[in-house]
Amino acid sequence: MAKSIPILGGLTFLFSLLLFKIIWGIGMMPLAASYEAAFVDQAFDGMLKVTIPIFSLVLATLLYCLHQFRAQSGSLEEGVRFHGSRGGLVEVLWIATSLVLTLGLAAFGAKELRAIRGGDQADLDVQVNSSQWSWEFFYPSRNEYGSRLILPKGKRVRFLLTSKDVVHSFWVPEFRVKQDALPGKVVKLFLTPTKIGTYQLLCAELCGTEHTAMTAFVEVVEPEDFDRRMKGEAW
Amino acid sequence: MEPAATLGYLGGLLAFLAGVGGFAVFLDWLKGKEEDEKTTGWHPPQSSECQPGSRRDPTGWQRYFRFTMDHKVIGIQYLVTTLVVFIVAGIMAILMRLELARPGMQFLSHDSYNTVMGLHGISMIVVALIGIMGALGNFTVPLMLGSKDMAFPRVNALSYWILPPAVIILLSTLVTGGFDTGWTAYAPLSVKGPIGKLFFLLAFVSVGFSSIFGSVNFLATILGLRTKGMTLFRMPIFVWGILSAGVIVLLATSVVASSLIMVIFDRVLGTAFFDPSRGGNALLFQHLFWFYSHPAVYIMILPAFGVILEILPVFSRKPLFAYPLAALSFIAIVVISFIVWAHHLFTSGMWDLLSIPFMVTTELISVPTGVVFLSALGTLWLGSIRLKVPMLFALGFLFNFLIAGLTGIFLADVPTDLHLHDTWFVVAHFHFTLMGGAVFAFFAGIYYWFSKMTGRMLNEQLGKLHFWLFLVGLNATFIPMFWAGTQGMRRRVGDFPQELASVQLWISLAAILTVVAVTVFLYNLVQSWVKGEPSLSNPWDSRTLEWQVASPPPR
Ligand SMILES: [Cu+2]
Ligand SMILES: [Cu+2]
Repeated sequence: MAKSIPILGGLTFLFSLLLFKIIWGIGMMPLAASYEAAFVDQAFDGMLKVTIPIFSLVLATLLYCLHQFRAQSGSLEEGVRFHGSRGGLVEVLWIATSLVLTLGLAAFGAKELRAIRGGDQADLDVQVNSSQWSWEFFYPSRNEYGSRLILPKGKRVRFLLTSKDVVHSFWVPEFRVKQDALPGKVVKLFLTPTKIGTYQLLCAELCGTEHTAMTAFVEVVEPEDFDRRMKGEAW
Repeated sequence: MEPAATLGYLGGLLAFLAGVGGFAVFLDWLKGKEEDEKTTGWHPPQSSECQPGSRRDPTGWQRYFRFTMDHKVIGIQYLVTTLVVFIVAGIMAILMRLELARPGMQFLSHDSYNTVMGLHGISMIVVALIGIMGALGNFTVPLMLGSKDMAFPRVNALSYWILPPAVIILLSTLVTGGFDTGWTAYAPLSVKGPIGKLFFLLAFVSVGFSSIFGSVNFLATILGLRTKGMTLFRMPIFVWGILSAGVIVLLATSVVASSLIMVIFDRVLGTAFFDPSRGGNALLFQHLFWFYSHPAVYIMILPAFGVILEILPVFSRKPLFAYPLAALSFIAIVVISFIVWAHHLFTSGMWDLLSIPFMVTTELISVPTGVVFLSALGTLWLGSIRLKVPMLFALGFLFNFLIAGLTGIFLADVPTDLHLHDTWFVVAHFHFTLMGGAVFAFFAGIYYWFSKMTGRMLNEQLGKLHFWLFLVGLNATFIPMFWAGTQGMRRRVGDFPQELASVQLWISLAAILTVVAVTVFLYNLVQSWVKGEPSLSNPWDSRTLEWQVASPPPR
């Protein structure tokens, strides 16, 4: 038992290192183009930092057991039974650790969620009308419609999501935060785009035949270009 | 049209049940023939009708196609049905992978892709629901408890015979306009559209009733028909898995059935439960649906835990580590599983402050799940490990389920779920849970109990080939999906952007391995069933009661 601890520790460290290298090397997340995205990515990295060592520890123990306690072929040997005090401590430690980790993660998650949602104020309102299978954008302050979502960089936008028929979902992967649009209800979503560029808005909730094709372009422009860009696009 | 179709299906179902002999007992009663009351009651059947060769319970191969009350025959019926549905689901998966091998639409339309995808989903749900509980549970649980049969043999037969018509009407959606809702049938989408959706709903409700009947039977058998001296905490851990899953089925399935029936009412009778323009509520469906469908995951996984914890001690040559704690953790999972459903609604427009308690409860499930892992590792520790095929699958289960459980934490966490929800990250996660978990355990159980069922051994070499191909294929297929999901690959779409072309092609190629693996398995199964090596009655030197009788067990 005692000699296994350094081996298990070493293997766990090794596996963790390897996995961190691989996963960070590949890069799990796409470009982050909103203020809220930073918090999502932070939460995602936090999760990786907790789960990778757990994965490595369990895998190390599993492999250690298979190597160390494997019976010779044809052997009739029985395993060594142990109960009570030898096992009792391990069980209590195991449960206590997982409980603490779990509650810790949940608290961390709640904190990040607060940061993502922020307050109720916004620089710009955009009404997003979804229907099978298209998106339509209405800018109440300008009384203009568009089929392309144009957003000024660095401004906090309040999206008012509605649906004419079934449930759709508003998702720009680069903005991270996703929100369903429900029929008969207006759902609010706050986002602050931070990077100039053209992205794709995807419907993320299965909504029938042409769900696959229910996409729209999203353009983030400099605030001073916003007016000009809107004029070119509005109808 | 739809009311007629609904009535037609119900009539057809009854006619079918009559055809396989389901009402023979009532007909005889009407004709005045005496019936031993014991056969319908609490006690296992001992009357003449269940003696071999009696008119109503024929021997030989015919009984596999009749309304038979022998739990061993019903177990085999479930097993073959599960495999047939598994093959159907596999064909749908192959179609999807062919379609997704390249960007753009290849040979399916958006609509047919939706139907194929939905059929794959619901078929695999059925496999995971009935594979372990229906097939392995029916065959082994009465034997393990030292009981002659299930508590209600006739209800047992009924729960099986509802399935074939349900599967047939499910497949009929392919030619009746399909269904584009996926297996989740979200309203109001499921309220509109072709009649195929109605057939899908009817099939789903039927499967629900089948599993309610099955679970009542398991609960009565496990609580009432244990042999002398077998207290609850002396039962094999597999029986604990079935017992706890049975409790969930009983408490949750009626809720999903009612939500689906509400959709059927909206379609057929013109009610407006989910139509907001007429005072309904679209979100209500999601709450009702997930109140069942999250616990349903544990209906599939608790029996799988049971199989794995049953097998590990046998091939480690020592008793299960921390057995009472493992059984208690099953109970804890049952309790917690009822208060987590809204983790599927984090992006639905539900109030944010409500998300937080659901995040906490969801993450709490990792504590009892961790205990299952502790029990497994503690069993291996200082064991004398033999790597027979059932053991390989059990170990593979531990590896896959570790990935499934840990990636589940990302989805339980609200901030990360806002991005990951409805992406391929979720798809990868639940395939590790259901393919890497439930299906792996199902295979482990088949390799373990096959000799008890048939009196023959499965080929060991082919079994090992199956295991390695399946493990490597599964991981090579689904691990890249986590990445594709975070990059922006939505669920349930038949097309994707150019940037994901190479990873999609890789996934399609890797999936070939799993197809080959399953083919090897099916060949092994058929071949060994017909002319496999005859087995001893207890080839693994197990301690549980089912191994103390002959293989196959006498009637
Ligand atoms: Cu949509
Ligand atoms: Cu869930």
